[in-house]
Amino acid sequence: MSDYLWDKRGEADAEIERLEQTLGGFAQATPPPPLDLSKRPPARRGFSTGALLIAASLALAVGGAVFMLIERRSPAWQVTTAAGRGTLSVGEWLDTHDGEATVAVADIGSLTVEPGARLRLLSTRAGHHRMELARGTMHATIWAPPNQFFVETPSTLAVDLGCAYTLTVDEDGGGLVTVQVGWVGFTAGDRESFIPAGFAAVTRPGVGPGTPYSERAGNTYRQSLALIDLAEWSADAQHALTMVLLQSQERDEVTLWHLLQRVPAFERDRVFNRLAVFVPPPTGVTLDGIRAGDRRMLDAWWDALGLGTTSLWRTWSQQWKDDVNARRGRL
Amino acid sequence: MTDIARLVRSAQAGDGDAFAELYQRFARMVHGVVLARIARTEVDDVVQDVFMAAFERLGELRDPAAFGGWLAAIARNRAADHGRRLMPVHPVVDAPAPARAHEQAEAHAILAVIRALPEAYSETLVLRLVEGMTGEEIAERTGLTPGSVRVNLHRGMKLLREKLS
Repeated sequence: MSDYLWDKRGEADAEIERLEQTLGGFAQATPPPPLDLSKRPPARRGFSTGALLIAASLALAVGGAVFMLIERRSPAWQVTTAAGRGTLSVGEWLDTHDGEATVAVADIGSLTVEPGARLRLLSTRAGHHRMELARGTMHATIWAPPNQFFVETPSTLAVDLGCAYTLTVDEDGGGLVTVQVGWVGFTAGDRESFIPAGFAAVTRPGVGPGTPYSERAGNTYRQSLALIDLAEWSADAQHALTMVLLQSQERDEVTLWHLLQRVPAFERDRVFNRLAVFVPPPTGVTLDGIRAGDRRMLDAWWDALGLGTTSLWRTWSQQWKDDVNARRGRL
Repeated sequence: MTDIARLVRSAQAGDGDAFAELYQRFARMVHGVVLARIARTEVDDVVQDVFMAAFERLGELRDPAAFGGWLAAIARNRAADHGRRLMPVHPVVDAPAPARAHEQAEAHAILAVIRALPEAYSETLVLRLVEGMTGEEIAERTGLTPGSVRVNLHRGMKLLREKLS
C-alpha cells in the first residue's frame, strides 16, 4: 500500500488524489455547525461498584416480577439484512447464509454478523442479554456497562466487559476472539481468560479459553501458547514455555500474568522472573505465594499492570459463575 | 491519562465546554461514519443526534479512553436506525446538486460505489477520502487498531479500484 493512502506522505497516488478532490465536497464543514445541548441536560448515570451492588440487590429482591415485565417489553432483537428488516425472538435461530446481517442488541449495542453464521437469541431483558453463536463470525459493539451481554459458544462463554470485539466459532466448536476496545472475559469451568483491547484468545472444546496474546505476536509465539494450553505438561510444553518467555516483550505482560496460573507450580519461577522484568511484583507478592497460586497475590500483580482493578473483575467473574451454575441447575 | 480522556472526565462531571471540545475533535469522524451509511442531505441531522445521544449517555462510559470507539458505535447504530426508519431497504441515493452537475454526478456515483463495499471498508474509505483523515487519525478517533485501519484501507482501496476500473 502506498504511504500516501495511509498518511498522505511520500509520493502522491494520482488516483487517490483525484478521489480526494472529487469527494472532498462531501466532508464535514470546518468548523462543524454549532451543537445545541441546551435541550437535554446530561444524564448522571455513571456507575460505581456501590451502585451496581445496590441495583443487583433490588433486582434480586423483586427478580421474578421485574423479569416478566421487562421480558414482555423487549422480547426480540431487530435484524437487518439486504432482504429487509425482521426480528429475532427468544429461542429463534438466525442463519446468515450468503449475506451479512446487522443485529441490534436491544438498546445496548449492535452486531454485524458475517455470511455463513448461525446464532440464537437465548434471553433479553434489561441488564442481561444472552445469545449463542454456533458458528461463524460476528463483530460486536456494546456500549452498556460491563457484564450485560453474554455469548455462549460450544467451548466457552464470552462476557462483554464494555467493548468492541470480533468472535469467530469454527465448525469444530473452537473459537477466536479479538478485542478492539475494552475487555472481554472468556470463561469455561474453572478456567478464565481476560482479554483487553489489542489482544486475542482462542478457545477449544474440552479445553476452554486459551491464554490471551497480543495481536502483534508472531506465529511461533501463538503456536507455543497453543501447545502450553493444550498439553499435559511434557517436554514439548516445557520447550514451548521457553520459547514464549524468550520472545515475550513488555506488551506481553497480560500473557505472562495468565501463564502464572496455567503452568505447573514448578514452572512458575520462570514466568515470575520474566514478568518481573516488565512489571515488578508489588509489595507483598512473593515467589512462594505465586508458586502456591495465591489469588490475592495474583490479583495484586494484575492491578499493577494498570489495566483496571481486579476487584470488579472478581465481582463479575463470580456473577458469571453464579449465572452458569443457575443455568446448569435449570437444565 | 490522555487529553481526550481528561476531556471526557470533565464532560462526565458536567463541563459543557469540555463536551464542546470533544464535539470539535470528533465531528469529522462521526460525519464520515454516518455519511458512509445514509443520504448526504440527512447526515447533519444524524450527526447532531449522535452527539446528543452521547451527551446523554456519557455517564455510562466506564473507560474515558474508549470514547472514540464508543462514539463511533453510537454513530453506526444511529445511522442504522435512521436507515431502518426509511425502509423498505433500498440503496442510499443522494440528490444531485445543480452546480457543476457533471462533477457532482461523478462524486455521487463514486460515493455510491464506496457505500456498496463491505461496511468496514466503506467507512474507512469515507473517513480517508472524504473527510481527509490519515490512517492514524482514523484509528485514534474510531478506537480501531492501526493494523485494522491499515487493512481496511488497503483492501477497500483495492476493491474500489476494481469497481471503478
